[in-house]
Amino acid sequence: MDRRTFLKLAGMGSLTFASACTLESEKKLYSLVKNQDDMVSGKANWYAGTCRRCPAGCGVLAKNREGRVIKLEGNPLHPVNRGKLCIRGQSGLQAVYHPERPKKPRIKQDGRWQALSFEEAIVRLAEKTRSAAARGKNRVRMLTCLEGDVCMGLFEKSMAALNGTAPLVFEPFSHEHLRTANQAVFGVSGLPSYRLENADCLVSFGADFLETWLSPVEYARRFKAMHAYADGKKGRFFYVSPWRGLTGANADAWLSCRPAAEAVICLGLIRQVLARKGSSGISTQVARQIRAVCQPYTREKVIEFSGVDPSGYDQMAEALLRAKDPLILGAGTLGRGRGDLQANIAANLLNFVLDPQLGKIDFTRRHRAEKAAGYGEIAAFFDQLAGNPPDVLLLNNVNPVYALPPEMDTSGILGSKQMFTVCFSNFMDETAQRADMVFPVSMALESWDEYGAYPDLLSFCQPAMKPLYGAPQIGDVLLRIAPDGTFENKDAKQELISRVQERWGISDTGAWLQAVRAGGRFEHAEASAGASGPAVTTAFQSWFEDPSELIRSESLLFAALPSVRFFDGRDAHIPWLCEIPDPVSKVAWQSPVLMHPETARKYGVRTGDGINLINRSGAVSAPVYETRYIQPGLAGIQAGQGHAVPGKYSGGRGANPFSLFSLKRPADAKTAFYAADPLRLEKSGQRQKLASTAGSMDPHGRKIALTMTLSDLAAPPGPEKHGLAMHDFPLTLPMPEGYDAHRDFYPPHDHADYRWAMVVDLDRCIGCSACAAACYAENNLAVVGEQEIINGREMSWMHIEHYQQMDRPDQPIFLPMLCQHCDNAPCESVCPVFAPHHNKEGLNNQIYNRCIGTRFCAQNCPYKVRRFNWHDWNWPEPLNLQLNPDVTVRSKGVMEKCSFCVQRIKTAHGHAKDENRKIKDGEVIPACVQTCPTGALVFGSLMDADSRVSKLVKDRRAYQVMGYLNTKPAVIYLKKVVHEIR
Amino acid sequence: MTNHDTHITALFADDAQAAAAVGALRQTQWPVADVHGPIPSQAISGALGIKKSGVGWFTLAGGVFGFFLGYFLAVFTSARWGLIVSGKPVLSYIPFFIVGFEFTILFSVLANVLGLILLMRLPAHRDLPRYRPECSADRFGVVVSCRQGEAPEVRRFLTELGGEMPEPADTQRDL
Amino acid sequence: MEKLSFAEIDNTVNATLEPPGRMYWTVVALLFCGVLVGAACWGWQILVGIGAGGQNSPVNWGTYLINFVFWVGIAHSGTLISAILYLLRAGWRNPIARAAETMTVFAVCTAGLFPFIHLGRVWMVYYMLPVPNQRTLWPNFQSPLMFDVVAISTYLIVSVLFWYTGMLPDFAVIRDRAAGVRKKIFTVLSLGWTGRYEQWRHYSRGYLLFAALATPLVISVHSVVSWDFALGVAPGWHTTIFAPYFVAGAIHSGLAMVLTLMIPMRRIFNAQRIITMHVLESVAKTIVFTGLIVGFAYATEYFIAWYSRNSVEMEVFAFRSTGDFALQYWIMVICNSLVPLLFFIKRIRTSILWLFAISIAVNIGMWFERFVIIISSVARDFLPHAWGDYAPTGIEYGIMLGSFCLFFFLFFLFVKHLPSISMTEIKELQHQAGTHD
Repeated sequence: MDRRTFLKLAGMGSLTFASACTLESEKKLYSLVKNQDDMVSGKANWYAGTCRRCPAGCGVLAKNREGRVIKLEGNPLHPVNRGKLCIRGQSGLQAVYHPERPKKPRIKQDGRWQALSFEEAIVRLAEKTRSAAARGKNRVRMLTCLEGDVCMGLFEKSMAALNGTAPLVFEPFSHEHLRTANQAVFGVSGLPSYRLENADCLVSFGADFLETWLSPVEYARRFKAMHAYADGKKGRFFYVSPWRGLTGANADAWLSCRPAAEAVICLGLIRQVLARKGSSGISTQVARQIRAVCQPYTREKVIEFSGVDPSGYDQMAEALLRAKDPLILGAGTLGRGRGDLQANIAANLLNFVLDPQLGKIDFTRRHRAEKAAGYGEIAAFFDQLAGNPPDVLLLNNVNPVYALPPEMDTSGILGSKQMFTVCFSNFMDETAQRADMVFPVSMALESWDEYGAYPDLLSFCQPAMKPLYGAPQIGDVLLRIAPDGTFENKDAKQELISRVQERWGISDTGAWLQAVRAGGRFEHAEASAGASGPAVTTAFQSWFEDPSELIRSESLLFAALPSVRFFDGRDAHIPWLCEIPDPVSKVAWQSPVLMHPETARKYGVRTGDGINLINRSGAVSAPVYETRYIQPGLAGIQAGQGHAVPGKYSGGRGANPFSLFSLKRPADAKTAFYAADPLRLEKSGQRQKLASTAGSMDPHGRKIALTMTLSDLAAPPGPEKHGLAMHDFPLTLPMPEGYDAHRDFYPPHDHADYRWAMVVDLDRCIGCSACAAACYAENNLAVVGEQEIINGREMSWMHIEHYQQMDRPDQPIFLPMLCQHCDNAPCESVCPVFAPHHNKEGLNNQIYNRCIGTRFCAQNCPYKVRRFNWHDWNWPEPLNLQLNPDVTVRSKGVMEKCSFCVQRIKTAHGHAKDENRKIKDGEVIPACVQTCPTGALVFGSLMDADSRVSKLVKDRRAYQVMGYLNTKPAVIYLKKVVHEIR
Repeated sequence: MTNHDTHITALFADDAQAAAAVGALRQTQWPVADVHGPIPSQAISGALGIKKSGVGWFTLAGGVFGFFLGYFLAVFTSARWGLIVSGKPVLSYIPFFIVGFEFTILFSVLANVLGLILLMRLPAHRDLPRYRPECSADRFGVVVSCRQGEAPEVRRFLTELGGEMPEPADTQRDL
Repeated sequence: MEKLSFAEIDNTVNATLEPPGRMYWTVVALLFCGVLVGAACWGWQILVGIGAGGQNSPVNWGTYLINFVFWVGIAHSGTLISAILYLLRAGWRNPIARAAETMTVFAVCTAGLFPFIHLGRVWMVYYMLPVPNQRTLWPNFQSPLMFDVVAISTYLIVSVLFWYTGMLPDFAVIRDRAAGVRKKIFTVLSLGWTGRYEQWRHYSRGYLLFAALATPLVISVHSVVSWDFALGVAPGWHTTIFAPYFVAGAIHSGLAMVLTLMIPMRRIFNAQRIITMHVLESVAKTIVFTGLIVGFAYATEYFIAWYSRNSVEMEVFAFRSTGDFALQYWIMVICNSLVPLLFFIKRIRTSILWLFAISIAVNIGMWFERFVIIISSVARDFLPHAWGDYAPTGIEYGIMLGSFCLFFFLFFLFVKHLPSISMTEIKELQHQAGTHD
């Protein structure tokens, strides 16, 4: 090559090199010439609404920045959740911004999807429905998820106008057994609410009130009101079930029993109670029948049938008899099979026998979920569809193809050519795949609606942002497709306004605005309480049957287990919910088969082995996960995953336990139920690495997650510790007084005005992982995916560690772990460039721009809470719209970690400065603290002598994880209080 | 001193002979201009009466300078922002000693090299003309300066001392 | 060592500088390809992030730092031989001093690459340099990594200068025997060295001081490297024996590498009469000594862990010898402290085959020592919930291959183009021998 070409090439080379070095930055900057009146750049607006991720109906506040909702928080005024949200509520946003959310309606033409404009879609649909309506009765049918009264009213009206019957409400978790049981015992076909807070002894026969049962956030709060240590007392909680999920993990004792044996145990308890306490306050004839029912269940029989541990059973019976205010909860949400119905009936009877006034059951404050149709009705509905298909079928946000047993062939029925199936859905789930038209309607955060968790509770949904893709809300669609003149109001919002006016008497604009701003009308929602239960009928006997087949079943039985993350499967596609591991199994992204080690040994499999579970209904394949938290002879899979749809997050992940169930329908349709037939287990041959984030759950006797018994607390405090070894090292606060010449080599250092610290009460922590989800949302944490979690690269700043209790390996304990903001943080001094350092308010800063990625800080962190960006993680559009503009998005090669939500601290500083005062205690609330349903986390400054943290760290239970390393963590833990083992 | 315009080089097989020759020459009026050798030799250095090298003073100075420079750098830089890390004092003199130590070594060595360059007046290509290549291999070359006329006499003298005489032509070349 | 005339010495050494054959260039080319492979892997890693490697939380450090410590270790025995043994007047070091020094220089170069490869944002590496900047924010001189920066760069500069100074008289020798371009080049390199006694007097003094300074340096450098771990809190790291333990280990591995290099070299250049069996034997004896120190250190670690009664320490060490990395641990123990004991047997330490085999074994063992130290401690540190595992990926192996190729590439170039045996020092040795008998 000649000199010129050489120079050219050289020049090019250096140019490309130079350009490669430039950091890519935003190309354009836009400024709003005309701003919306309520939008100030950099300032957030909050809109009250209602969470619709499950029927519980918690109140939310949506944080809107520059026109986009970026964070959900609980509405403090709302009576259901009092400002708290669960992991699903926190993740709700990702359903709105989900990359796979359809942007436009689509219609299936000869097997291929074609996009339509919303207007077109409505017009086409209107044609179909009106012509169908003209063709006769019930040519238009509708199946909907649980909606608010106003919306349901609108549906009914427009269905009536289309001369069809009222829409059927389909909720996979309909709590039908509980409803039927209430009917059978109390003559009330509904779902009353339970006053856990008033109980001092709680027994649950599988009711998973911390995962999916009725209203998890509300019951978590009520549960901790009775079960958290307060003035020397702490209620007792027994969990009777073949498996131990999150709820069971929070029980003082878990009584493992044979599947469907709960009723037997409950009847045994009734027998003992009657024997001991007699039947005062119960009408003699009712009492006689109860006696008759529970007569055969002597202690021995119970133990024989249920296989429950005798001493545990006696302890529970004893505690129950001694209790002043006992409360019994029946079977769990996923209760399947006849046994659960009996368990619920027996539980009702036991409640009645223990307290004939039923003072702790509130029949006036009934859960909306009771409005869902029963299994029988659903089955009948699909039979009709099969037998006499209507012309048009409207499906509103339901996924029967996933949730119903395969044998019901919902997929075939919906696929049938005769009817035009329209799916109002925001995700192309199994059902949507089979529809003829998919109509993505606006979601709760984008539309005007109302959803009251209880009768006469007014709780609004309002648009917290412009509908992402300009979709109309379903109300408007039904209003349009109904024959003209059906509605006097021009749109759903008007409809809402007039209904609210009729029913809640909110007529003037002022009251309306007030209600909308507050999120609803909550005053008298609390009032209705104390009304005693209705008279007990005697309709219950017929339900009980001979349990002796229980002990005969030798084959492998199956159970679908409730999941705090996926609920009924509608949330399986949400990245955060996949990424945050299940708090008990600590497995993310996957749904393995839970199996007792004995069972695994019996079938010659071990954790990680792929197996196929087969019965006459269907088959699933999943890896084995050995755990002692399940009854031997039983295999369980957490519900929610295993979707047979394309999709980055839910597609083909995990296994769907529902596909192993079949519909059992004895003579009368009202008692229909689902049950899984015994299984055949086949090894699939290949092994799968479990995406578990837990190295070991055994604390190895280390000072990590500690417990204290009530008697320890009753006893006078022992002598002050001042040793240097792990277990006799004192509490050393991250304050000058925490330093001591014989322990510390270096002198203490002072802080300016504040020393931020957090107190974590392990006695209150239920491990629900809502804090983790809140952190993902607030701090722009990346979702790394299944493989990277297997590689050990999850990015969670705040996670729940699941340990066995040190002196009781059979008992779990949850430990929220986050950056400890140590006063002598080992991570700081090893960094060559000062990226981590101690700031004047005691925070352990991490300066991303300064970090060069030596990773020494993470190596040197005893708590392993530092997270490294192994790659550039991505937020597929439009998930990026959720990113919090106050928090940097970290690029590859830098270290990151919990910052105590420093952006919130800065905001508080701003306000304090404006009003030229100091920051008040409780003014700074990190995202995790904000959402904790049980108030286990408290944040504040240790330099403020009367801040709550300053008071709490004086508690006898206060300690620091691995405190003997003398890093002086600013996260102080309070030991979990446990009951003595007798 | 009368002007010595000629240099005569005698090569010796080992340093003892060369040293003896140097000694003998000292008795004559012919000064020893230079002695080249493949290896350092006590005997020759002794005969020439060479003193100990002063390069060590450079090294010492460099070391002292380096030590203080290192400490100063560490102290100065951490004092800029005064960031607290791991609860240690901003000016942690103990760890800073390592910086001081490494700088001590570094600058001693640099000064040592500088000293060598200055004292040996490197690069010393000017020395090459008077130098016989054998001296880098296995010969010790004694260079004597004398007047043109005395040359044969000097040669004879050196030959008696056991020195080998390369052809005169070579010895004349530098005139 | 038998009598050799100065001329014979010159001939032997200059023979090594004869124009190399095709075979040689083929090997060099292959090695260069290896270097390119490593470079490509590094490029890819810069592109996609450190995730290309196998590191994770809790094992944030992987083969990169293992190789870093390994190569720094290799470097050390070079300085030991050229400086410390020089001060101790150990005659047997003269024939191998030059090669050992060269090994030092190239090993430090190779080692010096790894901290860069290891960085998450290598393009920001200048933050570690004490350069004035508008933020007036400087490096943190309390960080062991800054000690590294200072120590390693000092070490590189010093060993290069030492190396060059040592070669000065030899350059003159080559100059005087060479012709043409080579003569010109070596005339420049030799800076007009004539062996005047005026020069010798400063030279010998300066060289002595060099040695005197390099000795504390070499000890400090590997102590500093050991403090990368000893100043951390991780169980199994936070211990005071690390500095001597690492220095001994470094010399152990370095001596092994010297044997690995010398044995083929003396064969190829048939320099058996200069690098005699006596020399190799002396190296072997030293290896026995360092091996014993290293073995003692292993034992001490266990004793202290037990003596501390600290459950965390005890479990980490139990894990080392019985856990997931037990294989690596036992390779380390056997290769480093047991196998070298064979050198107690005269027949073995005088057999070329055995010497070579054992030297390789020790090299492997020392690599795994670094593996065990760096990986196993953090894989099982304080919080069991965070415990994890580690396995290198293809990218990491590629970069490792590249580093070995780079080292041997440079060394191959050296042996054919520069005097790989110090003629002057051999001559001195001969001369002393001559005067003594």
